[in-house]
Amino acid sequence: MVSPAIALAFLPLLLTMIIRYRYYFVLLYRAVLIRWVRDCLTGLSREERAFQYILTHATPGDAQSILDTFDHWCSKVEFISHIGPKKGKILDRLLQEHCPITVLELGTHCGYSTVRIARSLPIGARIYSVEMDERNAQVAEKIIRLAGFDEDMVELIVRPSDEVIPRLREDFGVERLDLVFMDHWKRCYLPDLQLLEGSGLLGEGSIILADNVIFPGAPNFLRHARRSGLYEVRVHRATLEYIRGIRDGMAELTFLGIK
Amino acid sequence: MLIYLKTFFFVGKDNEFSLYYVEVEENSQGGQEKQTTRDGKRRRERNGEVSRRRASEKRTTEVDTKRAEKKHEKRHKTARKEGEKHEKRQRRKNSKSESDSAPESKDNQAVGVLGSLTPEELEKLKEAVDERKKLIATMRGKPWPMKKKLVVLSCVLSQGVTGVFIISFLYYSNCQKWMKFQRDFENFKTACIPWEMKIKEIESHFGSSVASYFIFLRWMYGINMILFGLTFGLVMVPEALMGKPYGSIPRKTVPREEEASAMNFAILWDFGGYAKYSVLFYGYYNSQRAIGWLKFRLPLSYFLVGVGTVAYSYMVVIRTMARNANEEGGGDDTSFNFSWKTFTSWDYLIGNPETADNKFASITTSFKEAIVEEQESRKDDNIHLTRFLRVLANFLVLCCLAGSGYLIYFVVRRSQKFALLGLENYGWWERNEVNMVMSLLGMFCPMLFDVISTLENYHPRVALQWQLGRIFALFLGNLYTFIIALMDAIQLKRAEEEIVKKNMTIWQANLYNGTVPDNSTAPPITVHPADIPRGPCWETMVGQEFVRLIISDTMTTYITLLIGDFLRAVLVRFLNNCWCWDLEYGFPSYSEFDVSGNVLGLIFNQGMIWMGAFYAPCLPALNLLRLHVSMYLQCWAVMCCNVPQERVFKASGSNNFYMAMLLVILFLSTLPAIYTIVSIPPSFDCGPFSGKTRMFDVIQETLESDFPAWFGKMFSYASNPGLVLPFLLLLVLAIYYLQSTSKTYKRVNMELKKKLQTVSWEVQMYVQMSPTQLKGLSASSFSGVNEESSSIDEAGHHRQAGQNGRFIHPSQSQHTQNSEPPVSSTHTTTRPPASRGHTSSGHLPGHPQQPQKNSHSNRR
Repeated sequence: MVSPAIALAFLPLLLTMIIRYRYYFVLLYRAVLIRWVRDCLTGLSREERAFQYILTHATPGDAQSILDTFDHWCSKVEFISHIGPKKGKILDRLLQEHCPITVLELGTHCGYSTVRIARSLPIGARIYSVEMDERNAQVAEKIIRLAGFDEDMVELIVRPSDEVIPRLREDFGVERLDLVFMDHWKRCYLPDLQLLEGSGLLGEGSIILADNVIFPGAPNFLRHARRSGLYEVRVHRATLEYIRGIRDGMAELTFLGIK
Repeated sequence: MLIYLKTFFFVGKDNEFSLYYVEVEENSQGGQEKQTTRDGKRRRERNGEVSRRRASEKRTTEVDTKRAEKKHEKRHKTARKEGEKHEKRQRRKNSKSESDSAPESKDNQAVGVLGSLTPEELEKLKEAVDERKKLIATMRGKPWPMKKKLVVLSCVLSQGVTGVFIISFLYYSNCQKWMKFQRDFENFKTACIPWEMKIKEIESHFGSSVASYFIFLRWMYGINMILFGLTFGLVMVPEALMGKPYGSIPRKTVPREEEASAMNFAILWDFGGYAKYSVLFYGYYNSQRAIGWLKFRLPLSYFLVGVGTVAYSYMVVIRTMARNANEEGGGDDTSFNFSWKTFTSWDYLIGNPETADNKFASITTSFKEAIVEEQESRKDDNIHLTRFLRVLANFLVLCCLAGSGYLIYFVVRRSQKFALLGLENYGWWERNEVNMVMSLLGMFCPMLFDVISTLENYHPRVALQWQLGRIFALFLGNLYTFIIALMDAIQLKRAEEEIVKKNMTIWQANLYNGTVPDNSTAPPITVHPADIPRGPCWETMVGQEFVRLIISDTMTTYITLLIGDFLRAVLVRFLNNCWCWDLEYGFPSYSEFDVSGNVLGLIFNQGMIWMGAFYAPCLPALNLLRLHVSMYLQCWAVMCCNVPQERVFKASGSNNFYMAMLLVILFLSTLPAIYTIVSIPPSFDCGPFSGKTRMFDVIQETLESDFPAWFGKMFSYASNPGLVLPFLLLLVLAIYYLQSTSKTYKRVNMELKKKLQTVSWEVQMYVQMSPTQLKGLSASSFSGVNEESSSIDEAGHHRQAGQNGRFIHPSQSQHTQNSEPPVSSTHTTTRPPASRGHTSSGHLPGHPQQPQKNSHSNRR
C-alpha cells in the first residue's frame, strides 16, 4: 500500500499544475461549464444570447458600439471565441495597410470579425463570409445588418467552406481574393488553403490571415505554409481573446505567386 | 652580372651609390629570372619616363639637352629587338653624366626633392621601391600571423633585400610541413577529448548553455575517475587480492540467518546479502596491519585514501575557481547593457535554423525584458505591492521548505520504527519510503518554486539565482535531514552493539562452558564464522544507505528522463495529428532541457559521493558508472526529445556560481564525514579500524611502529600547540598578504582597462577627425580633387620615406629632409599618428605617378 507520505510528496506537483495552468481551468470553466449551464437554463444557444444582449445594449448602426458590447459580453458574461480586441487591432492595421477590395472570410460565427473587417474597408469593397451553421448564420446576419452593412458589402454564404471555395469564381464572379481571413474549424485550415491554391484565386500579394494558429493551433497548416515556399509567413504573437494568460498567435501569409 | 660589376666600377666614385649597387648586385645573383623581368620593367618605365623627366628638369639646361639628345639617339638606335646589354651600357653612360650633374642639383635647394635627383638615382630608388613592394606583397600573401611577418620583415631589412627570398623560402617550406603537422596534432588532440563531438553537436543545436552542462558533466567525470582510481587501486584491489578470502572470518561471511536469502535479487539490489559482505563496503575490511607479501598497510591506506580524496577534491575545485576568476577579469560589465546585448548576444555556434529562430526569439524577449526592467527601475511606482509580493513569495517558499523538511523527518522516523520492528515484515514501499519521498520532493518542489517565483517579478537573471538558491536550500535541507536521521540510526546501532558485546561474552562463556570439559588439553573448538554472533556495524549501514540513495536518485533521474522527456515527446509528436489543439506549440509541448536542475542534481550527487565514500568504497565506481550512462543517455535525450530553452545562461567551469555551490556542498558534505570519523568510535568487529578507540589512531600506530623513533618524536614536537599556533598564524598572514596583493592587481587591471578604453576612444576621435581636417587644409593649398587626394598620399609617402630611412638611399633621404619643410610640414603636423597606417597601406612610396606630381606642385 502506498503510504500517505508518498502521496503528500505529490502535493507540490499538484499545486504547480494548478497554478501554472490556471488560465486553462478558467477557460474550461467559462467556455464549457457556464455555457452548458446557461444552455440548460435558457434553452437558447450561446450565439442567440449574445445577440439578445447586443440588441439591448448596443447602438444600432454603430459598428464600434456593437464591437464594444461584444467584447464586454465575452469578457464579463460568457465566452465566445472571436478574434477579440487585441488581435483585432492587428487585423485593422493590416486592412489599413493593404486596402483589400475582395475579402473572403471563412467562419463568420456571430459576425464579430465581419463587422470588424467591413467597417475599415474602402468603398466598393466586398466581403464574402462563409458560415456552415444555419443558426449562427442567422444571428450573424442580424448583427451585420444591425451594424449597418448591406448585401452589397457583405455576402453571407451558408455552406461549408470546402464547397464554397471551388465555386467562388462561377457562382460569385470572384477573380482574385485580396484577403482571406480564416477563423473556422482549425482542422479545415490546411484543406481550405490547398483549395484556395488550387482555385487560382490567390494573386501575388494576397494575404491570408489565420487566427488561433497556436491555441487551439493548426500545426499542419503552419507546416505547410512554411514548407511550400509559396508564402511569406509571419506569426503575430498575442494572447487568446478575453483570457490573458494563454498564448496564441495569428499567422499572416503573403502569397508570393506560383513560380 | 658582368655588366653590373662594370656599373659598379663606373659609379664607384660616389660611395653611397656604390653601396646601393652592391645590394642590387647581390640581388641579381640571387635570382636571374627576376633580374630579367626587372630589366624589362625598367625599360618600360624608362620609355614612359623620359618625357616626364624632360619636362621636370629644365633647370640643368646644358646637361639636359645633351642627355635629351642622347636619349633620342638611343631611342632610335636601340629598338626593342636589340640586346639588353647594349641598352644597359647606354644607360650607364647616362648615369655617369648624371652623377656629374648631381652636385649642381644639390646646390639648388629651393627646388623639390625629386627634382634634385638625377634620373639614374630616381630609377634606382624606384627599383628599390619595387623590391620592397614585391617583398611586402609576398609577405602579405604568406599565411603567417602578423607577429611572424614583422619578425621576418625586420630580419630581412637588417640583412638587406636579398635575404628575404632565402628566409621566406626556408620559412615557407618548413612552415608548411610544421603547420600541417600541427594541424594534424590538433585534430588528434581534439579526437582524444572524450565526447567532444557529441558536445559540439549539442552546442550547435542548443547553444552553449546546454552544452556547458555537458562540459560540467565531463569535468565531474574526470574528477570521479581520479577518485575511483584512488579507492579502487589503493583500497579495493589490495583487499580483494591480498586480504583474507571470503568466509575466513566472521566479518567476511554472510551470517547463518541471512544465508538462505543472500543471493536473492531483491536483497542484492538493496545491497544486502553477498553485496554487503564484499569489498564494496567498510565492514568487509580486516584490521590486520599489513597484508600480503607486499606488507601493504591496508588500514593506513584506507584512512589516507579517505582523506586524500576529499583533499584532492578541494584542491581541484578551488583551483578551477581561481582559474575562472582570472578569466572573469573585472569591471562593471553591467554598463552598456544594451550595446552588449546588441553586439554579443548572438551565439555563433548555433548551426540549426530552428535553434537560430529560438535564439532570435530569446534575444528579442531579453531585449523586451531589459527595456521593461529599465523602465521599471526608473518608475518604481508600486514598490509596496512588489515588496509585499516578494515577501509573500519567500514566505510561501519557506512554508514549502519547512513542509518538505517535516515530511522527510516524518518519513525517516517512520522508517526507524520499521527498522526497529524488523524490515522483513514490510513491503517494498515502506522500505524505500525515505528515498521515494526525497526524490519526489526534489523533483516537484523546484517546479513549485518556479511557479511561485513568477509572483516576485524579478529580473530573469535574479530570479534564476533565487531559484537556484531555493533549490539548493531544499536539497540541502533534505540531505541534512537524511544525515540527522542517519545519526540517530548510528546511535541506535551503537546501543545495539553494546548489547551484542555483552551477549558475545556470554555466548563465548556458554560455548566453552557447555561443550568443553574442564581440562584444557582438548583442541579449541572451531565454530564456522557464519555462526559467530556479530555487531551491527554502523559504518556498513551508513555506506549502504548512501549507496541506496545514489541508486534511487539515479533511477529517478532516468525514469523522469524517459517519462518526462521521451514519452512526452513521443506523445506530442504522434498524437499531434489527431488532437484538437496544437500539442507542439500549446499545452504539453516538448520539454526544455533544465540546465539548472540538472547541474544542481549533479552537484548534490557529488556531495553524497564525498560524504559516503569513506564508508562505501564502491561509491566512486557507482558514480562513474552513473555519469557515464547519463552522459550518453542525456545526450541522446537532448538531441531526441528536447527543444532549446528560451532563457539562456551559462553553466559549468566558466560560471563560478556553480563552482561555488560545489565548494559549499563539498564543505558541507565533509563535515558529517569528519564528525563521524573523529567523534564516534569504530565498530568493534568490522572494518579496518576495528579494535581502535578512534579511526585516526591508525596514524599514531603507523608512526610508532613503522617509522624510526626520532621521527615519531619529531612529529610529537611538531604537533604541540607552541609550534602549530605560530604556523597557523603564519598561514593566515600569508593568505591575507596574497589576498591583498591580488586585490591590488585587480584594481590595476581595472585601471588598465579604463585606460585602454579611453585610448581607443581617443584614437577613434582622431580617425574621425582627420579626414575633415585634412580636407580643409589641402583644399586651401590645392584646387583639384584628384590632386588633393594625391597630395595627401604624397605626404604619407614622405613621412614613410623619413621613417624608413634605411630603405632609401641615404643621400636621397637627406635631400628629402633638406628640401621638404615648406611643403610637408603642413601635412605632417596636421596629420595624426593614427591615420598613418591608412596612407601607407593605400599607396606605397614610389608609386609611378607621384614623383611627377609632387615635383609639379613644388614648382608652383
